[in-house]
Amino acid sequence: MAKKEWPKPSPKLLEKTQHLMHDGFHQRAFPDTPYELPTALGDARWTDELIASAWYMAETGECPDHLNYKTGKSGGGFDRLAFKELPEEQQLAADAEVDITLELNRRGDERNKRTIDVPWYGGGMSYGSVSVNVMMSRALNAKKWNTLMSTGEGGYPSELYECADNVITQVATGYFGVEEKSIQAAPIIEFKYAQGAKPGLGGHLLATKAGEEVAKMRGSVPFVSLFSPFPFHSTYSVEDHMKHLDWVKTINPTAMMSVKVSTPHDVDMVAVGSYYAGAHIIHLDGGFGGTGAAPEIAKKNIAMPIELAIPKVHKFMQMEGIRDNVTLIASGGVRTADDMAKAIALGADGCVLGTSDLVAMGCTRCSNCEGGPSGRGCPWGLTTTDTELQEWVQQAWGADRLDKYYTALAKRMKEILRQLGLSNIGELRGRTDLLRYIAGGEA
Amino acid sequence: MLAADFQETSDNMVEGSVTIQLPVAEQARLNRKLADTYHRYNIDAVETENRNKYPRRFNVKVGKIGLAKLLFKEFFKYFGHWDVVFSRPCTYGVFSGPVGGFAPRPDLCVGCLRCEVQHPEFVTVTHNKELAELGDSYLTSKHIATIDEESRKGSVPVRGQGYRGRFGGPGFDQMFTDMSEIVRPSRDGIHGRELIGTSVDLGSKPMRLKFGADGGLLEAPKMMTIQVPFFYSPPPDSVATGIVPEILAEAADKVDTLLFLPENTVTNQGLAGPHVVPIIAPGQIGNIESHAKGTRMVEMSSWNLTAWNQVKEHPLLVSIQLPLAGDWMSTLMEMVDNGVSIIHLITDHHGVADDGRFVMDLYQEAHFALVDKGCRDEVTLIGTGGIAGADHLPKAIITGMDAVGLDYPLLIAMQARLTGDTKTRGAAAVKLPSNLDKGWGVQRIINLSCSWRDQLLEILGAMGIREVRRLRGETGRAMWCGHLEAEAFGDIEGFPGGEH
Repeated sequence: MAKKEWPKPSPKLLEKTQHLMHDGFHQRAFPDTPYELPTALGDARWTDELIASAWYMAETGECPDHLNYKTGKSGGGFDRLAFKELPEEQQLAADAEVDITLELNRRGDERNKRTIDVPWYGGGMSYGSVSVNVMMSRALNAKKWNTLMSTGEGGYPSELYECADNVITQVATGYFGVEEKSIQAAPIIEFKYAQGAKPGLGGHLLATKAGEEVAKMRGSVPFVSLFSPFPFHSTYSVEDHMKHLDWVKTINPTAMMSVKVSTPHDVDMVAVGSYYAGAHIIHLDGGFGGTGAAPEIAKKNIAMPIELAIPKVHKFMQMEGIRDNVTLIASGGVRTADDMAKAIALGADGCVLGTSDLVAMGCTRCSNCEGGPSGRGCPWGLTTTDTELQEWVQQAWGADRLDKYYTALAKRMKEILRQLGLSNIGELRGRTDLLRYIAGGEA
Repeated sequence: MLAADFQETSDNMVEGSVTIQLPVAEQARLNRKLADTYHRYNIDAVETENRNKYPRRFNVKVGKIGLAKLLFKEFFKYFGHWDVVFSRPCTYGVFSGPVGGFAPRPDLCVGCLRCEVQHPEFVTVTHNKELAELGDSYLTSKHIATIDEESRKGSVPVRGQGYRGRFGGPGFDQMFTDMSEIVRPSRDGIHGRELIGTSVDLGSKPMRLKFGADGGLLEAPKMMTIQVPFFYSPPPDSVATGIVPEILAEAADKVDTLLFLPENTVTNQGLAGPHVVPIIAPGQIGNIESHAKGTRMVEMSSWNLTAWNQVKEHPLLVSIQLPLAGDWMSTLMEMVDNGVSIIHLITDHHGVADDGRFVMDLYQEAHFALVDKGCRDEVTLIGTGGIAGADHLPKAIITGMDAVGLDYPLLIAMQARLTGDTKTRGAAAVKLPSNLDKGWGVQRIINLSCSWRDQLLEILGAMGIREVRRLRGETGRAMWCGHLEAEAFGDIEGFPGGEH
């Protein structure tokens, strides 16, 4: 399929466009400008205020006072939960040390011992669904924050090796771009069994986004739709799954194993099975997660929201007596620091962010990531490999936005802990007694 | 086909000789010929453009003075760099008309808001109220927009980004369907979706076969099969005659499903056929004999024992309508006790019974009552009411229906606009496109059917279920938001009905 290649933007055009975009994010998110939030911005899950507050945080490293940066208006889940803050005199002092680091290997085996500085890392976004610039922005920021980001299923662009110690290599059902070299380079290998936004349906990169470079990386034909099948065709039991992990453990004798699954009815059994197969990290991806392209019917209708899956898995693993030997990571609809803290209070150890990273870099959640009517992908330069559009996001700018965004998230996370009188993020895990359900409306 | 093939094979034999093996190549040719006669069920979708202009999603307003000022400024600032001067903040062509942003083309806007973010001083993008006002409190503008896309393209709507709506919700939104991490309907995974069966049987499934002394079957099962677990319900009174029934009848034929229509419409418009089910009042049930042209099934518009006794031994299948009102459960049991094999449960267009309960609860009650009675497989339950989106289809089946009826979505597919009482069955005022023609209408209905079937395959594939018949009443493969919330949040202070 022939496709028009757009020219790279001239330096002047790049300068102008970036100036207008960056200034626009500022004009819309800051209180001292004459402009209000765009009326068409936002939805029930990501409200206009949540999006604008992410822009504010990504520019300042602070949480805004003039916007609700904590919850959306979905009418359920995280949006109905609030923390039971202690009276001010019982809270920890504003300058009290609070530890939000997260240890990932709890199995006590000889593999990597890795502690990340914040209880979250970046979720998988493949090369093809996003550009190298976006991948590198996330990787550079992960390096700076001593955390991680995942390649998604689309290969390992050579630029990423610069940040190899902070990049998770994902192995998914299509094995697109999976190489021995990228498995050996990674501190963690992530097996993606399913994705929350399209559970049980595999992956789909539309033809318009599978350009020359993307196809080369994936070993496919340019501008042909790529389906990542479902499931792993070599896996029909927990024993098969274990062989899978053993295969990769042999290729990389030090990497930790992460298993990413969706949230079906028996998610608790799946998690326990994965643990016994050798996983260090069980990564649950809930039904409200992001995606580059998914059938609309899959979003929300298949599998359960992450808020409802976390306690189920947490409690079951406690009953099995294995809870302290595995790291439980939650994603799929985790938007804010408050969401992450609530997820941890419900029983997770940490979280994975995906859409939030993109929003911080300018995403308006217009849902045209799959190509949209233009066939070129994201007009903001995020979820696209279009030769012109991808230039709107430059690595240094993207990494800086994410750095400041993470700064604000970390500040808020520590503030929550102080308000609850906790000095360590681990103390929050499973503390549903510190939560309050708001029955009549949003928290 | 087997008989024909046998004949052809025999023709190649030498008369009076013993059976001889045909040459391998010849046998292979015959086998190939036989195999080629098999056609996997498929719905032929063809992109079919709208006849009426559909309300655009967004309105785009550009301040002309602001734009002129910007162009003036940039003309001098970037003089000679014309790519910069003429660059536009839109990849969708909203500002690519002959005079650019001075006459924007909002029909092309997808709401990325790049123009408004970049130029807050003179660009405004707003949701189009005309679109938002479509539909009613149940069949919302979002449903209508989705149906419009489905009936236009005939494919599964695919978008980027995640879910944008509310957590859980009323009606069908309270259910999440299950998925399986490793179990698949076929070794081809979801991409072997063509191997997933969507056909359903209507009628009484025989619990055992009875043979006579000569080895012949004593009673042939009285049942039929349609290729999809949905059928077309009668259109509202205002369009109950004329082109709409004609379109639906032809589409039902091509999709291999059924269209239910009042008997007089069938007769007056000459629509009788294998894919049309005449609805007959109990008092007129004697008319059943007059339905020819391959009619396979009729429907009695209400329960009446005398009328039923007249037709229960008739070779045609007979279904009976049962409005979910009053003491419908007693009526259901009476019907079952009297041997009714197809029962059609009916509610209003919002899927609500007269006691205010939603069909998902009522369908389960009906289904499990028959399970408890030990006769579920001897009765086919079909339901009409409240199906407004593709996801409602598997959810209604999970709650116990063998097949469900489509009503308003069929009209929306034909770009009809509904006004007046849109809740009461039959009452809505329907405005059809003035240039509606049969061919276009049929293809739009076929496209919608194709899209919904494909979306059903997505759900079945994710669950690892090989045929839709196995989905019926599989409540164990569904998750109710309320139950999950009680399990997850029950120990949290403030949760209604929780421990605190």
